[in-house]
Amino acid sequence: MNAEVKLHPSTEMLNLFVQGELAIGNSVIVSAHVELCEACGERAKELQALAVSTWVDPSLSSEPAELGEDSFSTMLENIVKAPQLKSELVVDLHEVEFEVMNANISLPKVLAKAAAEGLNWHKSPGGISEANIFLDDETQCEFIYMAPGSRAPVHTHEGSEMTLILHGSFSDDLGEYKKSDFIVRDKQHQHQPATEDGCLCFAVLDSPLKFTQGLARFLNPYNRYKFKKAVSRPA
Amino acid sequence: MYRNYEAQQGFSIDRGLAVRLSSMVTSSQDIDVEASAVSDEALLIAVGNKQDVEAFNQLFERYTKKIFALGMKLTRNEQLSKDLIQEAMLNVWQKAPLYDLDKGSAQGWIYTLGRNRCFDMLRKQKRQPNCISADDIWPPDFSDEPSMVHQDTGGQEVELDLIKRYFDELSEPQREAVEQIYIKDRTHEEAAAYLQIPLGTLKSRLRLALKNLQKLIQVQT
Repeated sequence: MNAEVKLHPSTEMLNLFVQGELAIGNSVIVSAHVELCEACGERAKELQALAVSTWVDPSLSSEPAELGEDSFSTMLENIVKAPQLKSELVVDLHEVEFEVMNANISLPKVLAKAAAEGLNWHKSPGGISEANIFLDDETQCEFIYMAPGSRAPVHTHEGSEMTLILHGSFSDDLGEYKKSDFIVRDKQHQHQPATEDGCLCFAVLDSPLKFTQGLARFLNPYNRYKFKKAVSRPA
Repeated sequence: MYRNYEAQQGFSIDRGLAVRLSSMVTSSQDIDVEASAVSDEALLIAVGNKQDVEAFNQLFERYTKKIFALGMKLTRNEQLSKDLIQEAMLNVWQKAPLYDLDKGSAQGWIYTLGRNRCFDMLRKQKRQPNCISADDIWPPDFSDEPSMVHQDTGGQEVELDLIKRYFDELSEPQREAVEQIYIKDRTHEEAAAYLQIPLGTLKSRLRLALKNLQKLIQVQT
């Protein structure tokens, strides 16, 4: 489906993903990539099968010897009184309207769901618009739209930034990235994303951005404020 | 939905074929849930097809500690892990009719339910938003499923002989499913019980069989 996808989450990250050990924001971005990338879909299935075989192997798991099973009979009685389901509720939602782009974009299901309640866009330096969504209290999660010809300020990260390209492309000093690419940047990288034709991304940061050149540096306190706000529950 | 398909495609199979096919199908036996050697899959199917409480008790016995261990790994909290047993096993009971044998082991299926319920429990505990649940992050089918929606091909007439030939080209599991529903006129529930497969598996085999038949017919006409 996407033979051109160049950049993927690491095996370690996929492994944490299938085992449910990532924060929600990170789980969402990995899930979205896995839906777009057949190779990672296959790898995720293999890793899950491995996790299951470890889970059921008594020599590898840490099952308790006893659980005080007296209390389970009531639990069992109550469970079997519940009605069974005859069909799975599948919400087939893909298309989302992006007013900043004046277009409908087809998104991975999990992101379409996240965007369904409406996005609140605000402008950032360099022709960039951002819409935050609150997913957990550890990560700053946002849709980012770079208008054609825009260029972000040179920046680095105090922690890590994961970016998934949903539409269009962008490039930085390290390469050019297209739809479905999963880009991880951390404090070792200083970069300046730029796009010719426009680019829609979803990004998850575990710490504030840090602008490193020119006047944009005066905005660093704002970046820290933005991160603090993004990880606080909306009122 | 499947009956519509039949009407629109002029899809029917004569009684002679029905008799021949019925001899291919092995006789039904009730699953003996007493024996300890019964597989997890067989237990899960009995729970899904017959609301078999005894089979569920056995699954409960086999998985309680594993689910508790999964909970401890993800939450490091004993009370939450005990709550997870309740949440996950309730989900196993409720969703058993949806289990699909063709898509994986009972272990993998139960693991998925356990992980998802644990993820949602933690999300609620941390009072994180409801807009994304575990089932959005790990949807029931990560790979695209063939669509259930039948496309009208314009009421084409198809020779009965052709249908029979195509029918023989289906894999045995798919043929059995089609036979139960279209020749023996059984309900999905009856067919699943007769073939001793989960309802979800019956439905996906039917879906695939009809899709294959449709493909073969379209190639020919």
